[in-house]
Amino acid sequence: MLDLKGVARYFGGVRAVDGLELTVGDGEIVALIGPNGSGKSTTVNLIAGVFPLSAGAIYFRGEDIGGLPTHRRLQAGIARTFQNIRLFGQLTVWQNLWVAQNALEDRARRGFFARWLGGRARAREEIFQLLEFSALAHKQDELAANLAFGEQRRLELARALASKPKLLLLDEPAAGMNSEEIGQLRERILSLRQRGVTILLIEHVMELVMGVADRIAVLNFGQKIAEGAPAEIQADAAVRRAYLGGEA
Amino acid sequence: MDDFTLGLLTNVGLFSFLALSAYLLLLAGEMSFGQQAFFGVGAYAGGILTTLYGVPLPLAALAAMGLGALAAFLVGLPTLRLKGLYFAMATLAAAEIARLLFELLHFQREIEGELAGPDGTQGFRGIRWIFEQGIEAQEFLLLTYALLALVLAALLLVERSRLGVTLRSVGEDPELAAALGVNVNRFKLGVAASAGALAALGGVLFAHHNTFIEPRNFDIMLGVHSLAYALIGGLGTALGPLLGVALDIGVLEGSRIFGGARMIVFGGLVAVLLVLRPRGLLDEALVHCITSRALQRR
Ligand SMILES: Nc1ncnc2c1ncn2[C@@H]1O[C@H](COP(=O)(O)OP(=O)(O)OP(=O)(O)O)[C@@H](O)[C@H]1O
Ligand SMILES: [Mg+2]
Repeated sequence: MLDLKGVARYFGGVRAVDGLELTVGDGEIVALIGPNGSGKSTTVNLIAGVFPLSAGAIYFRGEDIGGLPTHRRLQAGIARTFQNIRLFGQLTVWQNLWVAQNALEDRARRGFFARWLGGRARAREEIFQLLEFSALAHKQDELAANLAFGEQRRLELARALASKPKLLLLDEPAAGMNSEEIGQLRERILSLRQRGVTILLIEHVMELVMGVADRIAVLNFGQKIAEGAPAEIQADAAVRRAYLGGEA
Repeated sequence: MDDFTLGLLTNVGLFSFLALSAYLLLLAGEMSFGQQAFFGVGAYAGGILTTLYGVPLPLAALAAMGLGALAAFLVGLPTLRLKGLYFAMATLAAAEIARLLFELLHFQREIEGELAGPDGTQGFRGIRWIFEQGIEAQEFLLLTYALLALVLAALLLVERSRLGVTLRSVGEDPELAAALGVNVNRFKLGVAASAGALAALGGVLFAHHNTFIEPRNFDIMLGVHSLAYALIGGLGTALGPLLGVALDIGVLEGSRIFGGARMIVFGGLVAVLLVLRPRGLLDEALVHCITSRALQRR
């Protein structure tokens, strides 16, 4: 599904991501962990096309997408959430989901004729389902800016799903959540996997990572220092030194 | 209706097109100080077509709108890459260039024994199509407001559509919109072209109402006012800019009692208003409040 080959991004002298190799298979959930400033969000931004690569290449479903602008990557099937919540505060919950329906098949459905042949009804139906999935149906006409924190996080996830992604990039989706909310998030992530969505999960909350990830990659200073199944990572000495804070 | 009221009402209608033009770009997050240029393009193009070539006004208006859209598109290509203040300055510069071009435009022909057509700084006299057709001032007023109603209805429909919601999303956070699959550059170019066409339509009507236009009609003050219309009236609905025009022209006329100080009084009022309500009287929050109440009652 996703292949990072020698991916690098430098900010001036800072090597935020430095020669990263990472593969995410179809339907897999891969977690990317690492200490603050280790380059996790930068990796997400590179995959989503926020800024260009300094070196390396990114393959999505076998195609080099390194040169595609952001909106084309989303249309191709890569959606993301943001570490710092980003919503259209002046739009309603419903409208936030509506503007995000930009998968190629949805765009085709909005053609002049297709629109009247049930395109609209389907778009509406899909938004209803997303609202149900995210427990936001009762808030559909609320301005996004007026939502509580947890609701905003749910809306961000729902919005990423509105584009029917094949690959979902989640940048610290559990930040600021209590353990009940984290439990609900875990259920949602697992149910997405069942539907065949591939997920790259950035997360500090180990409770969530260990519960959902098939594989974990660990970043430190922009480089991958370990990769393996959750149990292996927990036992890895280098990881403990760099990150988990235990004695080596 | 006396001539003064008639003229005033017609002006309110005419400048509403310009206000809506500035409003569209404001919704997309762009503050253009140059919409008066496309108003001018419309005025000159429409005037030339009817006066020098005998083209009927409706056709001339369509052509002028096309030209306005094209001009706005071409100006937008380089300027929309700029951010915030730089975009504002670039559009201002483009509009001043357009005004200089109007000053250099000499294109006169003899029509029925008299020279007609643009004559540089001397202006463009004798745009007489509506008088030749025997259209009364009151009829022209009606025509202006009918067209305005049509444009307004179209805009209100668009605002409720996904296109309109996308427009507001691009204005609020263009990077986020791009991350959600919107081709922001292309979208903004489309908005700029539509806004150019709208301004040009206002310009055509302006030229035919006044029968005389000159380059300085389309100076920076007109651009500042068109922004003020939209910002005073509010960015929550297309009705906002119209309220803005009515208030702006109303207050300006009403404050004649202040004599020479009236621009100062007026400027002060605008400044106070924008501090209190940065997105205008009918802003998004108020409009959302009103519409959701109306929905609940249903
Ligand atoms: N746009 C940018 N401009 C300059 N430097 C940046 C930019 N984005 C990230 N950096 C730098 O790159 C490094 C990696 O940052 P990044 O945000 O990817 O870390 P992270 O692993 O996501 O950390 P956290 O866990 O705190 O979110 C940091 O040193 C950061 O200061
Ligand atoms: Mg981060």
